[in-house]
Amino acid sequence: MAALLEAERVSFTYPDGTQALQHVTLSIPEGKKIAVLGPNGAGKSTLFLHFNGILRPQEGCIYFAGARINYSHKALTDLRQQVGIVFQDPDSMLFSASVRQEISFGPLNLGLSREEVGQRVEAAMAATGITGLQDKPTHFLSYGQKKRVAIASVLAMEPRLIIFDEPTAYLDPRSTRDVMALLEDISRQGKAIILSTHDVDIAYTWADYIYVLAGGQVIGAGTPAEIFSDATLLEAAGLARPWLLDVYEDLKNKGWLPATAPVPKNKDDLLGLIPYRSRSKLAI
Amino acid sequence: MFSIDQYAYSNRLKNIHPGEKVAFALVTLLIALVAPRPLIPAIIIALMAGATIGIAGIPARFYLQLFLVPFSFLVAGVAMIALTITSQPQASLKGVTLLGWTLGFTPAGMHLAGKIFLKSLGAAACLYFLSLTTPIVDILTVLRQLRVPALLVDLISLTYRFIFVLLATVNDIYTAQASRLGYASLRTSYHSLGQLAANLFIKTYRRSQELFTALTARGYHEELQVLEVAYPFSWPFLCLAAIFDLVLVILMLLT
Repeated sequence: MAALLEAERVSFTYPDGTQALQHVTLSIPEGKKIAVLGPNGAGKSTLFLHFNGILRPQEGCIYFAGARINYSHKALTDLRQQVGIVFQDPDSMLFSASVRQEISFGPLNLGLSREEVGQRVEAAMAATGITGLQDKPTHFLSYGQKKRVAIASVLAMEPRLIIFDEPTAYLDPRSTRDVMALLEDISRQGKAIILSTHDVDIAYTWADYIYVLAGGQVIGAGTPAEIFSDATLLEAAGLARPWLLDVYEDLKNKGWLPATAPVPKNKDDLLGLIPYRSRSKLAI
Repeated sequence: MFSIDQYAYSNRLKNIHPGEKVAFALVTLLIALVAPRPLIPAIIIALMAGATIGIAGIPARFYLQLFLVPFSFLVAGVAMIALTITSQPQASLKGVTLLGWTLGFTPAGMHLAGKIFLKSLGAAACLYFLSLTTPIVDILTVLRQLRVPALLVDLISLTYRFIFVLLATVNDIYTAQASRLGYASLRTSYHSLGQLAANLFIKTYRRSQELFTALTARGYHEELQVLEVAYPFSWPFLCLAAIFDLVLVILMLLT
């Protein structure tokens, strides 16, 4: 799969001297689900702001669809249409007191006709399940509802890549499930997704590929199975192992699973692997 | 203030075209201000109260409480106008005389005070009608259509939205302080309040930076363009409002 977005040896230091990124090189393939893991302050958010041209790398460069990012006004507008960011705190994204107006802001900035914008707003509200909230003012919405409005406001711009900065932070289990289901829908439409999270269980099950950041550097990259079998890497990044892998290994060590059992990708896979008691005696 | 906002979104006149409501409220307000006799503002108060309570469905109790705010200011202000202090003896002046100075009321002063009182309440009634029936978002739509500079409209819109964010932040900080006994004594209260204000300033500044970043990410360039809700014109409301204002104007010219 061709790379949609690439960072090549990107470095960035904030004016206060914090070195947020050091020679970060990574590549985001088209249509894939990429998780970015790393402790707070690892540089994830700084990296994302480079992806749609809000921050400019002080060293290195960013490529979008094979071309080096051009920081002219026109090119940036194009880039920001293609690369959307859903920020962690919906209250810092939502500027309007009206849900409809909030969602219409992005597409209107693309210079689309009002009819086209209206259709996109409807579609984005339907996709995120907030059509019923459109007449409510944003300040009467719950946190989870605001989060959906924020997602809809990015969806309406119809980007090819959407970056979700800790989309499940502060959400209750049900809203977390809903948001992850929404991400699955978006992914099925062929859009690439970057998800930053501290939830290793979500990252393991959901991602096609994982980058691990720490101290402004990429310290690990690979498929979920590769990343989470590297104990040194997990220690360095301060990450836990997904419970799924712990349980799987323990079952295997204690002989409940045959040594040839494939590594489960999600809970259902694991439950499917565990044999019935009568048959398990045979396995031992 | 929150209640006004909530009623604005939930009243029975919410779906009337905001332009009609703004026009009705402002034209009536103008009539209340220019009418030479106190009768007109008195009619306006009665009819606006009727429209707000009877048609829009705002609870009368809440509406009356709302009127207490300008009422108390007005009583104090108007009393000063009604009172006359003079050393010149006047036939119509009734009051107490001390050392050649008289403090009292004249019929003319009373009349003037009454007129100002009714005019002010009439104007307040018009504005209450507007703010209780029309959400800010809709008023902003009207302002944009009236070609008010985008900068001003955007500023009002952001201010309105962030009043709620700010109050939520204040509430969070206050709760966090109070749960650690930050307001246990007068001394700590002063200290905590100062901390709250300082913290709020920093948080507000950071939030404005975040907002700017988030807006830029969605292609913001110097104007907050949004899609306006298209309300259909309501002919019954428009006709009623026009008839009402016309009758008032005729009444004003006749008397």
